[in-house]
Amino acid sequence: MNKSIINSVPSEYEVKPPSWATRVRRGLPLLMSLSVLAIVVLVSRVLQPNFFDRAVVRSNISTFLPLIMAAVGQTLVVLTGSIDLSIGGIVTLVNVVTVTLFGLLVGMDGDGPVLLALAGGLLVGILAGLVNGFLVAYLRLQAIIATFATNFVWMGLALYVLPTPGGSIPQLVYRTYRGYFLGVPVAGWLLVVTVGIWWVISRVKLGRYLYAVGGSQASAYATGIDVQRVVVAAYALCGLFAGMSGIALTADIASGDPLVGGPLTLSSITAVVIGGTRLSGGFGGAGGSIAGAIILGLIRNIIFFANVPPFYQDFVFGLIVIGALAIAAVGGVRRRSA
Amino acid sequence: MALNGANFACAPGEVHALLGANGSGKSTLAKIITGVVAPDAGEIRVDGQTVTVSGPADMYRLGIASVYQELSLIPQLSVAENILLGHEATRACLIDNRAIWAQAARLLEHFSRSLGRSLPIHAVVEELSPAEQQLVEIAKALSRSPRLLILDEATASLHSREVEALFELVRGLKDKGCTVIFISHRMEEVFRLCDRATVLRNGQTVATVDLKTTSPDELLQLMVGETERPERVHKEVSPGRVVLKVEKLRAGRVLREVSFTVRAGEVVGLGGLQGQGQSELLKAVFGAYPLESGLIEIEGRRARIRRPADAIRAGVVLVPGNRAHEGLCLPRSTFENTTLPSLEHRSRCGLLSASRERRAANEVIQRLEVKVADIYQPVSTLSGGNQQKVVIGKWLLNNPKVLLMDDPTKGVDVRTRLELYRVIKELCSRDVGVLINSTDNAELLAVCDRVLVLYEGQIVDELTGDDLNEANLVAAGLRMTASAHNSTRGETTWGE
Repeated sequence: MNKSIINSVPSEYEVKPPSWATRVRRGLPLLMSLSVLAIVVLVSRVLQPNFFDRAVVRSNISTFLPLIMAAVGQTLVVLTGSIDLSIGGIVTLVNVVTVTLFGLLVGMDGDGPVLLALAGGLLVGILAGLVNGFLVAYLRLQAIIATFATNFVWMGLALYVLPTPGGSIPQLVYRTYRGYFLGVPVAGWLLVVTVGIWWVISRVKLGRYLYAVGGSQASAYATGIDVQRVVVAAYALCGLFAGMSGIALTADIASGDPLVGGPLTLSSITAVVIGGTRLSGGFGGAGGSIAGAIILGLIRNIIFFANVPPFYQDFVFGLIVIGALAIAAVGGVRRRSA
Repeated sequence: MALNGANFACAPGEVHALLGANGSGKSTLAKIITGVVAPDAGEIRVDGQTVTVSGPADMYRLGIASVYQELSLIPQLSVAENILLGHEATRACLIDNRAIWAQAARLLEHFSRSLGRSLPIHAVVEELSPAEQQLVEIAKALSRSPRLLILDEATASLHSREVEALFELVRGLKDKGCTVIFISHRMEEVFRLCDRATVLRNGQTVATVDLKTTSPDELLQLMVGETERPERVHKEVSPGRVVLKVEKLRAGRVLREVSFTVRAGEVVGLGGLQGQGQSELLKAVFGAYPLESGLIEIEGRRARIRRPADAIRAGVVLVPGNRAHEGLCLPRSTFENTTLPSLEHRSRCGLLSASRERRAANEVIQRLEVKVADIYQPVSTLSGGNQQKVVIGKWLLNNPKVLLMDDPTKGVDVRTRLELYRVIKELCSRDVGVLINSTDNAELLAVCDRVLVLYEGQIVDELTGDDLNEANLVAAGLRMTASAHNSTRGETTWGE
């Protein structure tokens, strides 16, 4: 192929990166969600004087990590203009499969191949994502209905694998998850890994194609992008993150539960929206979703520490989430009216 | 059916125009070359070798790039990201943004130099003006270093200086041996830029001519061909008082100071090449397209039309161009679709009366002779022509004064087409004024008393009586003047 025009780029075309003004304008929704995060952190610190203590930070990160990972996975799918309503089902399935694999392969003393059991869990997540992607991209089923249906399939499979809550995992695994490495909580390292994977995705071609497909499928197709493959990849990666989420959840609760992941589906979508990603696709990023997930978790804590009576907790939670969504939406208003 | 035996060849280093009136198939031909549309038969040869282009990816592999009329940009991505989309430079698998910025700046440099201002490579595309977006689209096609570049109406949204910059660029490409296929409604541009032209008519190649030795008149003759004057719809009524008066409608570059009137019982056509503002004009009168300024009067009274509901109340109704999306609720029954816009006339204390509704629906269905076995069946089960009758019929219950029709017989068979003309005629005898846009010149000639020809959002000509013929319509649409044509006026009465 003749690429003479673009290969011979003289050095005079060394161009400046986008100005800070441009970056701030494009990142406004992210900035809005980061300011909501700052507010929530501030309120937490006021209500909970030991909020920044090592143990509290560690405990919070390990509790929030499953939702954070699910939200990052959901972001990838939402960026393409699609949605995954089965993420909670995948997390549940990964949870029970991982617990069962630990029982079969490793045993409670932790002598066996721990990593193999974990890889099994991740594989289940990826496979489930591939199935979702195939249904949406190649069979052209409506994403919202197709994944709503597969959610029941994953939950049903989970019940088949582990009909009642129970099972246990090696001490080694949950001790490690709750422990520290180089002075930083292990869950914190896993958060770094999550961010790292997103960083790579956002900087390879696939990352840009996620945005292109979500921005305009027809244009992406006319540009020679394999739209179907991009959608399948988004769902498969979402499945991978759901798998990671399921493993983190398993390590956190140290047992299996065939109903555990349910609430994660809508929470992950809420986190994505608070994070400034457009549900219509093509705009946003996982950074905001991570902030969104932490915001959701901290709001729960705040309600607890503010001594809201249990009867009203859900009510207050709902109101605060609406507030957070409203602030996050401010960043997007100008673009829509333009 | 858009193409039927079209042949076309162009040589390296040539700028080749594709010409033809509406529906002649030039866009379809361009889409086949780019792999967007698959041909039923025929072949494409590149350098003498038969190739298959089954999609845009194949197109690029063959060294073909296209500037699409409807653009192929991602609104949320930046200029640089859009230009290099699909073949980004990478370093160790990661996208090399600096290289992309440099390449984008390099590709836009030509325009920046000619226009005296640089295009912002980091700006988000949706924030750019239509002209800037068009330049980005062109730079995007150039980024593929094509051997064959297709420019489909690439100058439509450009200002004259930008057009000059583009022409300079095309001449540069030509010198490097690149072939350019140029599709434009601006004949003056075609003559200035192109070496040869292939003329299409009704999906067939008529001729390929050398533009240096061809006069505009000869070209026009090729586009129009030997046409018989279509049968005219004979009407008993002569136009009465003015029902619709439009004054100085403006909407950016789409509508520029459009003024005209429609009388009761009169059928006024909107002609010219497709996409010159005809649909937008109809929508604007119906309150479905935002206007900057302008005045609309219905029966001599000023009408404030901001939404379709205002228009309907004032007696203006629209048969939209996209029947399936804007005209009907496809999964609902014929019955419901027919009575939907006039429900308030038939409800009692807010409750719908099934029997009154049924009577009204049946009346319309009989009047328009809609062929429907069961009025409770989804309207999607009807044929295209009958669906169109339902779209018209649903408005009849409101006793409209002005009927706007946007290409009403697109995809409708000949018999139903004649029936629709009969409906138009019947409405005229009830003093309804009809404003009809059609991409089919024969249709305009058949039903209209008068045709307003639009060009880039302006009325450039008005044809009536003997002047209303195919040659004049095509010529006016291209802003050319037709020489004397034998316009035989065949008036025939048909229908009952």
